[in-house]
Amino acid sequence: MWRYGKLFWIQLKASLLLSMQYRADFFVDAVISMFWAATALAPLWVVYGEKVQGQIPGWGLGEAMLVVGCFVFLQTVLEGAIQPSLQTVIEHIRKGTLDFVLLKPADAQFLVSTARFQPWKASSFLASMAIFAVAFARIEVWPSFGNLARGAFLLLLAIGLLYSLWIWVVSAAFVVVKVDNLTFLLGSIFDVGRWPISIFRGFFRLLFTFVIPTAFMTTFPAQALLGVLTYGQLALVVVCTVIFAVVSRWVWLRSIRRYTSASS
Amino acid sequence: MIDVDELKKHYSVFRREPGLKNSLKALFFRKKTEVKAVDGLSFHIAEGKRVGFLGPNGAGKTTTLKMLSGLLYPSSGKVLVDGHLPYKREARFLKKIILVMGQKQQLLWDLPPLETLELNRAIYEVPMPVFRKRLHALTELLDIGPQLRTPTRQLSLGERMKCELAAGLIHGPKLLFLDEPTIGLDVSMQQTIREFIRSYNEKEGATLILTSHDMDDVEALCPRILVIDKGRLLFDGSVAQLVAQVKPEKRIALRFEGNSLPENLDSYGRVVATGAGEAILQLGLEKVSEVLSQLLARFPVKDLTVENPPLEEVMSELFSKHTLAENEMAEHALAEHALTENERAENEMAERETPKHEVTAKAP
Repeated sequence: MWRYGKLFWIQLKASLLLSMQYRADFFVDAVISMFWAATALAPLWVVYGEKVQGQIPGWGLGEAMLVVGCFVFLQTVLEGAIQPSLQTVIEHIRKGTLDFVLLKPADAQFLVSTARFQPWKASSFLASMAIFAVAFARIEVWPSFGNLARGAFLLLLAIGLLYSLWIWVVSAAFVVVKVDNLTFLLGSIFDVGRWPISIFRGFFRLLFTFVIPTAFMTTFPAQALLGVLTYGQLALVVVCTVIFAVVSRWVWLRSIRRYTSASS
Repeated sequence: MIDVDELKKHYSVFRREPGLKNSLKALFFRKKTEVKAVDGLSFHIAEGKRVGFLGPNGAGKTTTLKMLSGLLYPSSGKVLVDGHLPYKREARFLKKIILVMGQKQQLLWDLPPLETLELNRAIYEVPMPVFRKRLHALTELLDIGPQLRTPTRQLSLGERMKCELAAGLIHGPKLLFLDEPTIGLDVSMQQTIREFIRSYNEKEGATLILTSHDMDDVEALCPRILVIDKGRLLFDGSVAQLVAQVKPEKRIALRFEGNSLPENLDSYGRVVATGAGEAILQLGLEKVSEVLSQLLARFPVKDLTVENPPLEEVMSELFSKHTLAENEMAEHALAEHALTENERAENEMAERETPKHEVTAKAP
């Protein structure tokens, strides 16, 4: 465990060194990701704006902002940690350099999953925290410690879900090699997470709850922060995350087994 | 150290004919063909030895190397490396080996090689004092002090290869799989890399398996060579044995007094190269001593050396013999096939005739 902690730190350090090599890029990227985080709020201004006077049933502007906060937070993790690392797997497969990873005496999934981070995404992490703060200020009720802990726990599970989904996509790269479209599609679907699940009905509600569980990733953590999440719902997310994690590990191991590496 | 018995790796690949029509057809109906990358290899390699895999493109060298290192599952056969089944990729096994590929690199592209070495230190759990000692030795031997601190992308191909070797050897592997380690390097860099590999083998007692297109690499490094073609072992032995078996000839390089060459030199052997006062003759092994004494007696020879014909020539002879033998076998099989076709036709004729007799016999 300690060894993997050390490996994680060394890989993270390499990413930090890498991104700081290009100073101008580092700052520009930081500002741009902050800007994108702010634009995540834009659709809310439209819905709750004076002209439309809309409402999402059960969700005031402040509450809906909490969902956006969760969305921006997860997007930060996705774009700052999960996607860059797993994108390198796709590169490895295409170039045949995954051979080197597979011959290392450490878990290959761990090594590739921590291979690359984009530290400037930390700025959009700050933006997500700001959105949480503004949202609570609007609601005018600050969360209890219990609610905060439950919310944080659910966000952690959400990272697990998101990571598992991405492992599936990456595993597809072992079969079809070019999966750029698939990652793009999944990225677009994840965009749905900026809305509370209650705006969807019927098929889409089921789809975004159980198949691509954006509801578990953003709506449920927001509900936990608001103190309205039931223990049943919490248990459902835990079970779902465990299933996703186990299946994704299985898919990964199977993919590795069928990997025959690009020809020399 | 390495035991390989009847090792096979067969792939199924989908074959697609060229052209739009065929491509459309291939979208729905694909033709599967089996490729026999390795087809029944057997050999044994003792600890500390340097062995070269030789063979043309697609001969199965890299596939064999990948099965030995655990990257590929064999289709059948036995492969045991230092008591391990490689494809299980146990950590204990992986810590003993290293695979260096001339065409692929493990160094982090935008960072100095030292970062990759640091990462490998953590992955292979090399204690800090051991790491420092090895790093110092590798830096000295490979002469890469400043390069280790320069981003990989700014290094030349040769410098990168040296750092690649350092990154691969920092955990002190006992078994080195080197796949075309000198590809694309200039002559002096090839020399440096070869010297380094040899000294590592001698100092650490590590076993070394090398594949290369470059015959010089193999000749300089490997006392034993395995020649592979179409997934099968064609030859196993030393370079000298290979030459004796395939092309029992020698080359005599001559330097004469002055710049001119004696006339009718070609009556002593085949003249393969000439220069100012220099010539190289190639002739059968049995004639060498006789021709040597004649040359020394008749001409003002200043200097001479006797050497094997270049390995390239020997190899191309070996492969052309192999292909010829295969073609003959194929022709033979075809002829047999044709015979059976003829026989079948004759039999059919006979069969057709026989019932007629029967009918006529039964008719009355």
